[in-house]
Amino acid sequence: MAVQPEVQNKGILKSAAGIADDVFTRVTAGISAGEFRRMLRGEAPGRPNPRLKPHSESFILHIKPTYYHESVTRFTHTFRLGLLSTYLFLVETITGIFLMIWYAPSPDRAYSDMIRLLSSVPFGQFMRDVHRLGAEMMVAIVTLHMVRTYLTGSYKAPRQFTWFTGVLLLVITLFLSFSGYLLPWDQLAFWAVTIGTSMAEAVPPKIVGETVNLLARGAPDIGANGLLRFYLLHVFFLPILLILFFFVHYYKVVHFGISLPAAEEEVGQDSANKVPADRRVYFLPDVLIDEASFLIGFTALMILITAFFFQAPLESIANPQSTPLHTVAPWYFYWLQGMLKIADKMIAGVILPGVLLVLLIAIPYLDQNPSRRFKDRRVAIISGIVAGIVMIILSWMGTPQYAVRAAPAVEIVQELMPEEGAGLIREIGYAHMPLGTFDTREELHSDDPKFNEVLEEFQASVLHFDETDPDFNNAYGILEITQNQPSLKKIRWEIHWLSADGAEEVFRRAFFLHEDSLYWEQYAPRDFEFLQPAAEGE
Amino acid sequence: MQKPWYSYLYVKSPIVKIILGILGVMLSLALLLFIGLIDGPRMEAQTGNWDGRSIEKGAEIFANNCATCHGAEGHGNPGPALNSHYFFTQRLKDVGFTGSQQDYIELTVAAGRPSKANSQWGVMMATWGHEYGGPLRADQVVHVSAYIMNWEESALQQTAETDPWIPFQDTPSKGSPYADGAVAAEPVQPAGEPRPPQELFTAMACSGCHVLDQLQTDTNRGAVGPNMGNLPEEAGQFVAGQTAEEYVHNSIVNPNDFIVPGYQPNIMPQNFAERMSEEEINGLVAWLLDPNRQP
Repeated sequence: MAVQPEVQNKGILKSAAGIADDVFTRVTAGISAGEFRRMLRGEAPGRPNPRLKPHSESFILHIKPTYYHESVTRFTHTFRLGLLSTYLFLVETITGIFLMIWYAPSPDRAYSDMIRLLSSVPFGQFMRDVHRLGAEMMVAIVTLHMVRTYLTGSYKAPRQFTWFTGVLLLVITLFLSFSGYLLPWDQLAFWAVTIGTSMAEAVPPKIVGETVNLLARGAPDIGANGLLRFYLLHVFFLPILLILFFFVHYYKVVHFGISLPAAEEEVGQDSANKVPADRRVYFLPDVLIDEASFLIGFTALMILITAFFFQAPLESIANPQSTPLHTVAPWYFYWLQGMLKIADKMIAGVILPGVLLVLLIAIPYLDQNPSRRFKDRRVAIISGIVAGIVMIILSWMGTPQYAVRAAPAVEIVQELMPEEGAGLIREIGYAHMPLGTFDTREELHSDDPKFNEVLEEFQASVLHFDETDPDFNNAYGILEITQNQPSLKKIRWEIHWLSADGAEEVFRRAFFLHEDSLYWEQYAPRDFEFLQPAAEGE
Repeated sequence: MQKPWYSYLYVKSPIVKIILGILGVMLSLALLLFIGLIDGPRMEAQTGNWDGRSIEKGAEIFANNCATCHGAEGHGNPGPALNSHYFFTQRLKDVGFTGSQQDYIELTVAAGRPSKANSQWGVMMATWGHEYGGPLRADQVVHVSAYIMNWEESALQQTAETDPWIPFQDTPSKGSPYADGAVAAEPVQPAGEPRPPQELFTAMACSGCHVLDQLQTDTNRGAVGPNMGNLPEEAGQFVAGQTAEEYVHNSIVNPNDFIVPGYQPNIMPQNFAERMSEEEINGLVAWLLDPNRQP
């Protein structure tokens, strides 16, 4: 480059400024420093619009539209749910790669890798929590995205195929989330996935179901092969499939434009791509600023939730020999579990979900009503709401609240001190467990208000079952806490009752609780008590 | 176009959006800084947490599988004591094991003590680890070892008198682990008051193999040694020429003289005459033959 003549002509400062401007323009793929300043000042672009250049120059921007219709940029039209879904996939990829560094998909190592991640890797727990939270949010947001599209009728012509790819993306998201469920190799993971894959077994005819099940698990039961297969599905096959369909989906979105609010169009018209010049909102800078600040705000919210209100669970190591009481699927599969409780595995686990999927895909072809306005779509809106309510009821039926209550004595103990997970006793912890014997027939009182809560809960729960269950009469419970070892307490539950025919029955269960053990609920304020002893030690 | 009621929520100004974005970045960074600052104590707490949970799991395994021989408190009977000063300080030196205490425990749990000739211990320890055909997975062996290791703190406070350890006859102790220099107590002949038979029955580990409140019948036989529920009635009928008292006395002092059909010789320790005084043995015999004995 001929620097010297330029310096001679313009002087050193001016030519330096010219070079700086040149670099700036290259970095921003076509926006000069002056244009950038004008953007920030909120000035209108000149003609021809110099702010379109980055859309042809840069790869990332060339897939974004250069301008949007003003009406679709309103937050309450789309709620930015599609953008959020995409963003969450990015978050999952980044945190997932971090987690992959500390993880080996083998039953010998997977679980101890999780413990190592939690206890020895800086930011390890944070990354795991964000990954888990992001996964659950992604399922929720992709679903909400579909609900929004349904309610605004945006699946109608010409966007039927966009809807189809969207349904596929929803299914892939569910499978992604579910395949990741197995990887920690704890009881929660193992049994949820065992139940999940057992539905594949119900696919008729028998030979197909068995083969699918065998292919998924890699053996008649989930083991080393099954874990490896789920790992590969989770980190390789499904993400690639998702990326592929995402691009098809997004291409269609850009191609047809985001559908306008129904009120702004004539029925049967689609004018999303014919944006009058005065209604255009350009991507640079308005939409970019909007999307960036929205995603930043969302990120801050995710970090906030992770820091204070969300902790990914980790239970005991997977044990094929013992099924914990009340094994539940992740919440987004509660509806499936609810159906499985009332119907046969083949009908509820295979045929109904299959029909549901086909129905979802077929919606644009079944619904021939050209109008997207609420008042013209009463049938569609009401059936959508009914379907939503049915889903919520089925989900409630999927929780242990419905139909799978164990014997009262077992439930009483399970509620306060479950086989897996936290429960009230483990949450308040070792320090709040006074030694002694506590009998629900007596006036119960201790010096510890937190422990009193447990006693009240215990008493109330025994009383509740005594009143409601005819096979559980004259019941009383004894809670005995003894020091088993230095820093280890034994918590023994004993529940006596008379059965319906007057026979004396007793249920005994003992647990141990260590001073250093921390148990947590997945969705609850985080406990920062561990900061206390460190402060005292100094 | 009419504005919806929530239109006040719309942020139109790009400058406000940029400011909100900057605030969002600052909030995120502040939160990350906070998480980073408490990450040290957090990792420490998590380490403690998983060690604690391991001990809890070990406690459950111990209570279900090991406590019958090693005692719920780890005081042994009929197996060796584990909650023992000697066990934590001197045992490894005496047997010449060069690994750590935890290694020793893990190895013993996993591989057991399946074959040992002429042992003073009534029952051989089974192999517990999966790799040796036992029921426990490797992680469970680690849990139960962690639980046993958790006794160390209380065991080290024991003195020669309170240590429940019963010396192994085939490995005499090479040193004293106790502060006062006492050698691991050889079975002591009690000098003063004779101990009550109930205490002897557990202290001498009889209870490990003989069940007091079960009848010994053809359909209900003790697994290792005969049940003693109907001993008062039956004791006179085993050996011709011996009264019930003579039979029970001789069975304690010279167990191999008569073995009840179906049981193995050399299971019952041979040294009770040295470990109890004559008076104590007689008391024990009388108590065992009392049809109304109090446990």
